Amino acid sequence: MIIAQQKPLEEIKGLLANYQRVLIAGCGTCVTVCFAGGEKEVGILASSLRMAFQVDGDPKDIREATVQRQCEWEYIEAIAEQVQQADVVLSLACGIGVQTMAERFRGKRLLPGLNTAFLGYPVEQGVWKENCAACGNCVLDKTGGICPIARCSKSLLNGPCGGSHDGKCEISDDVECAWDQIYQRLKELGLLDNMLEIMPPKDWSTGRAGGPKRIVREDLRPLSMGAGEHLSMGADEQGSEGSTLAPL
Amino acid sequence: MNSGEFEPEIVAYACHYCAYAAADLAGVMRLSYPPNVKIIKLPCTGKLDVLYVLKSFEQGADGVFVAG
Repeated sequence: MIIAQQKPLEEIKGLLANYQRVLIAGCGTCVTVCFAGGEKEVGILASSLRMAFQVDGDPKDIREATVQRQCEWEYIEAIAEQVQQADVVLSLACGIGVQTMAERFRGKRLLPGLNTAFLGYPVEQGVWKENCAACGNCVLDKTGGICPIARCSKSLLNGPCGGSHDGKCEISDDVECAWDQIYQRLKELGLLDNMLEIMPPKDWSTGRAGGPKRIVREDLRPLSMGAGEHLSMGADEQGSEGSTLAPL
Repeated sequence: MNSGEFEPEIVAYACHYCAYAAADLAGVMRLSYPPNVKIIKLPCTGKLDVLYVLKSFEQGADGVFVAG
């Protein structure tokens, strides 16, 4: 899921300083599960802000609304009226939700209340770990299900490096060495031979280096021409030679 | 309440099984407690939520008392 953290209250107060009617919009999916922007966090933040502005002698009309997902048109339609009534919307969704809302409600000021951090999962209560970098070319089959792109500080494809010591990474003793973990996992699986396989340089164009990504599935489009499935890259997905990554 | 003297408004969240029962017993015994303490019964203080506390302050409470 997408992991996010709420911005500091003072920063949020600064964002809202020049507005009177504020709608705080929560999201019921990833940021609810990571306790950053769900219905409950919306309530707590709204209550805190009402009191904070009241104490500052600048009371504001702060309202609350939460949708199932802010990253889909169908869901955000449910709060269209509340959005229109507000001077500003503080979205407690991830960056995707904020942008979807900003696109749908053009002309309305949309502000982010969260800092979107990474793609990961909760390893224990109150602890989340990044474990996918959305690189667009998964190598988990070779690494025993541990991602060296997200978990290795250097995103090495052939590790460990010389900075690995006692299972820890050289950047901090709090960071585990992903390649040490991969080694241990492959050993458990009886697949240590995988370590001998040298992975060639990765095609990073499927990740951030390739520019904004876009997937087009012709079979799912309303007016499908029956062209099958395409994973296209780049802003101009119909254009340059490298734009179609994996026609199937 | 004495006029001119600050008397805090207190919201007391009390557990059904202990603190609220004690307050109930105090009532049966005809004991009085200050009128500026407002008791709200919870099935258990484990039900207390940060939102309850915030809402209490937001609506004018000077203090929140949790008993359980």
